[in-house]
Amino acid sequence: MVSSFERHPKVSERPARERRAKPDRPDRHFDAGLQHERTALAWERTAFSILVAGAGLGRFAADDGFYVEATIGGLMVALGAGILIWAGNHYDALHGPLRAGDSPVHPNAARLVGLAATGGSLIALLVAIKLILIN
Amino acid sequence: MPGMSSRRSALNWILGPDPNAVGTDPDYRFTLANERTFLAWIRTAMALVAGGLGAIHLIPDTLGSEILGLLLLALAFLTSASAYRRWFQSEQAIRLGEPLPTSRLPQIMAYSVAIVAAVTAILFIIGGFEL
Repeated sequence: MVSSFERHPKVSERPARERRAKPDRPDRHFDAGLQHERTALAWERTAFSILVAGAGLGRFAADDGFYVEATIGGLMVALGAGILIWAGNHYDALHGPLRAGDSPVHPNAARLVGLAATGGSLIALLVAIKLILIN
Repeated sequence: MPGMSSRRSALNWILGPDPNAVGTDPDYRFTLANERTFLAWIRTAMALVAGGLGAIHLIPDTLGSEILGLLLLALAFLTSASAYRRWFQSEQAIRLGEPLPTSRLPQIMAYSVAIVAAVTAILFIIGGFEL
């Protein structure tokens, strides 16, 4: 799915003259609160937390012989790594659409992370219930 | 194609409508703040998963630690399952200029974590006497 961000060149690819804000979007306002940077960092922290939770799930599920669940934990690690890379690229590219006045909303990234977190915590819950029933 | 549209509506039920379909683009700061709030809830859920798995696997076998772990994991599922839904509901509300949807989740989270902390403290005290 092509997002609206990709129509805009990255800020690092544009000449310095163009990097200045448009008249209706002054620089002072644009950087107030460092919104895009804080949001990028939030994505990166979230990616790390999914990575760590996935690693824990993978390790503990494998210890107990639940290899399907352990594989899902491994997939969460891969997803966390993927989001980390995406967040870095994405927020470099975000300067363009923000200055152009486009909406920075991206439902698909939120859907992916939301579904992965829901699925991951459900699998962890099921592993714990299975483990307690076995003991 | 009828099959296509029913599959689409099933997907819509799980994922919700595209928040961009209604209203007008708001100040991007509101969109990004909503996004960060969603991500903070997801991180909370992932921390609960780590805590729950840790409680079950790292604390020596007692019934208490397993109940504690199950409570944390159930809370993690509840949190992450509602986080996305709240995100698109808030996004729609921001785009339409409506008040944000309310949620009981912060309350549930506060009470649940307080109970987990209290139970953990009791387990530690009992464990201390057993040693």
